[in-house]
Amino acid sequence: MADVPFDPADLVWTRVSGRLAAARLVVAACWLAPLLIGTVVLAVLVPAPWLWAFPVAVLALMVWVTWLVPRQVRALGYAERDEDLLIVRGIMFRSLVVVPYGRMQYVDVNAGPIDRSMQIATVQLHTAAPGSQAEISGLPPAEAARLRDRLASRGEARLAGL
Amino acid sequence: MSGQVSDPTSPPLDAPVWRRMHPVTPVLRGWKVFAGVLLVVGYQASDNISSATRVLAGRGWLLVLAGLGVVALIGFVYSAIAWRMTRFAVTDDAVHLRSGIVFRQQRQARLDRLQAVDVVRPLLAQLVGLSELRLEVAGGAGSAVSLAFLREQEAEELRAELLALSAGLHRPADAASPAEPSAPVAGAPDVTAPKAAPAFETAPEYQVYEVPLGRLLASVLASGAVAWLLLLLIGLVVLSVTTADFGSALFALPMVLGVVSVVWARVNGGASFRAATSPDGIRLRHGLTEARAQTVPPGRVQAVSIHQGPLWRRPDWWRVQINVAGYGHEESSGERESVLHPVATREEARTALWLVLPDLGVPDPVATLDAALTGTGSDGGFVAAPRRSVWVDPVGWRRHGVLVTDRALILRSGRFWRRVVVVPHERTQSLGLTQGPVQRALRVATFVLHSTPGPVAPRVEHLDAQVAGDLLHEQADRARRARADAAPEQWMRPPETRP
Repeated sequence: MADVPFDPADLVWTRVSGRLAAARLVVAACWLAPLLIGTVVLAVLVPAPWLWAFPVAVLALMVWVTWLVPRQVRALGYAERDEDLLIVRGIMFRSLVVVPYGRMQYVDVNAGPIDRSMQIATVQLHTAAPGSQAEISGLPPAEAARLRDRLASRGEARLAGL
Repeated sequence: MSGQVSDPTSPPLDAPVWRRMHPVTPVLRGWKVFAGVLLVVGYQASDNISSATRVLAGRGWLLVLAGLGVVALIGFVYSAIAWRMTRFAVTDDAVHLRSGIVFRQQRQARLDRLQAVDVVRPLLAQLVGLSELRLEVAGGAGSAVSLAFLREQEAEELRAELLALSAGLHRPADAASPAEPSAPVAGAPDVTAPKAAPAFETAPEYQVYEVPLGRLLASVLASGAVAWLLLLLIGLVVLSVTTADFGSALFALPMVLGVVSVVWARVNGGASFRAATSPDGIRLRHGLTEARAQTVPPGRVQAVSIHQGPLWRRPDWWRVQINVAGYGHEESSGERESVLHPVATREEARTALWLVLPDLGVPDPVATLDAALTGTGSDGGFVAAPRRSVWVDPVGWRRHGVLVTDRALILRSGRFWRRVVVVPHERTQSLGLTQGPVQRALRVATFVLHSTPGPVAPRVEHLDAQVAGDLLHEQADRARRARADAAPEQWMRPPETRP
């Protein structure tokens, strides 16, 4: 299958928490629900049947998002090797990033209000290259802390300037 | 005065000697504020020429003049206060800079993290013999330490001193003040440090190429910007003639000005461009109204790109750009700073690449580079994109290719806009692989190398998925090994004293 380069045989991917899907759905609902209500109200108030197309479209979008987000989250994964961290993401547009520990400049752990209520956090690795985009969302806080300390200590051991 | 600045956060243990910028600085700085305001006002007025002429027709211009005078005064006074508050000091391992009027800032740039040192001379500063010294450290936007303005002599000496210190040489132990130390420590390579009055003498340099003005002008004339300008002008003339309304042409004025400024930037930045090699690294000198002398120490160039537009194909000219951490953040000057050669012949492009990477890691570098610059398919041992990628890139698919040498990764792309990117293995930051749905169906993938911010974005599209995947993992491995053997950050430090 075409997946081979994205899924080397000798790697075990750690998948992120399923609660990330819930968190992302909450965020999506926060702006889709008012949109749905707004379009429904508009369609009820204005006597023009074609206006119902908007709530239907929003509803379709909601269904699509509910279907897509859990799959996206299941596609997120990372693997720690001795010398580098691998992050894989995406279903349609797949991407795999390899970040050597020695290239890491600093590590961020972020958690917004929704993330915190869902007990997840995001670990972000920064290298000197802005294109690295090495971000792992949906980690349980304990795992995030472990990963952060581990990355920091490994980075220190292998630091090689720029 | 010194008591006022020495707040509890300040004095480091080795008691640096604090120095001020040259006293003429506020005048030069104030002028900048003035020019900025003038530019904004001028731009606003040019948008609305009819009303601007009405204002200037009466005694309005006196008012405008008075306003400008007030602006100039404010700019000057502000700059004068800023100058009083700005001091810098050089210690053995860092440059300290204190500045700020209301919000004080103390910045400390570690010399072993120095990425480049530039001596910049804007037009006015050139006239009065002053220079700005800019230190680039790889800390993101606005992380450069700017020492403006210093006397030319002082700036040159300071640059030599900073480069020597960041190379790992030591100041003589007895010299407490940075002004009079006599000789560097014994055992250091004496190329950078003969015994002389300044602490460190400028390293000797050997010029490797110079851009003739004629070629530069011809190359700018043959650039895309000029082609656009011509199209625009023709369009304007046609429009004005057909509608018999010349006022409408004024609307296009900002666009024309934009193109002209791009062209001017090219000419200005590339004028009297010279490159030299020295033990301190690559030295670049260029600029007409703003003269700039850059020094990029060894191992600081993260990636090189050599590219050519369709109009440059006949004369076989190439533009060589580099990624240096710290350059490329400033929107205005990043474009200029990152140029290694504004218009190179094939021969000079090779030399420019050699400056960065003396050993390409292949038996026949000339043939390899030729294959990279103009070759297609598997010329020169390149791993090319497979034939089926014609469906995703029908024009350029033959040019996508990658070659791994012992020292670097060479990426080739572009059929009409040819581009070759060279990334030394030890400068690889992180790596990526991406694949869209069409690529997936074709079993191809895009290989991306992440480099520091700058004009060079190393990537190669549509490689065979299996090949790209293998390349990714091999390259991660190779980059790690190359880093382990890489030259030290302090490039003059003898190996045994390396930490």
